[in-house]
Amino acid sequence: MTSTMLDMLPWCLAMGEVGHAPSQDIPTTIFTGVLMLVIEVGLALILLGIGLCLVRLLRGPELADRIVAGDTIALQVVGLVILLTVRLGSDAYIDVAMTVAVIGFVTAIAFSQFIIATHGKEPA
Amino acid sequence: MNPTMQTIQDLFAVVFLIAGVFFTFIGAVGVYRMPDVYHRIHSASKCSTLGMIGLLLAVVFHVASVGIIAKATMVLVFAFVALPVGSHMLAWAGLRTGSRQWRHTLVDEHAEDRVKTDQPSQKPPATLE
Repeated sequence: MTSTMLDMLPWCLAMGEVGHAPSQDIPTTIFTGVLMLVIEVGLALILLGIGLCLVRLLRGPELADRIVAGDTIALQVVGLVILLTVRLGSDAYIDVAMTVAVIGFVTAIAFSQFIIATHGKEPA
Repeated sequence: MNPTMQTIQDLFAVVFLIAGVFFTFIGAVGVYRMPDVYHRIHSASKCSTLGMIGLLLAVVFHVASVGIIAKATMVLVFAFVALPVGSHMLAWAGLRTGSRQWRHTLVDEHAEDRVKTDQPSQKPPATLE
């Protein structure tokens, strides 16, 4: 039973691409203009946020500051990809969001272990 | 699809999109502006989790297909589990290695309980600014 579910998992995740033409079958409503305007403003704001996190990544006085900044950049990229998904009406881009979220989590765990392991041994 | 249904879905999508973009941007501003490591972790984890919830709900309402709903649910569950764990590990590592605290920090219960850190001396950790 469990192996059957695991075998079906890629099929369930790929279900969106089968027979779903992007952005044609979503009808235009009175909120479409507002939605596109919000997406444009949101893209600009998230790019500005990535810039702020980059400044913190360069300036952060400790290693933990830089790790927090890099983790936040990963989350902003997830937001950017989700905005593109809404803009294009396509299913394909949200896989990128999943992957980036997983990689950001693993990065935070690995770097915190790295901080503890190398404490007191690194050259000042 | 029914146009009236799509209109209602787009209304919800706009509302959740505004909330998600707002919280995502506020998280980045907090990472830039907060005074020490612990405040920055606080801002990044809470605001980014809220922002991701808003953006994913906007996608689910706008593109209401089965694949989108399945993937958005996976990302949401994973974010709810993973982001607090990662932030906790990072704050714990900073505390163990004696990251500096803000000068106006009110409560430090680890120092009050004399939890052993990897600091060579037992004096309280250095403050910032």
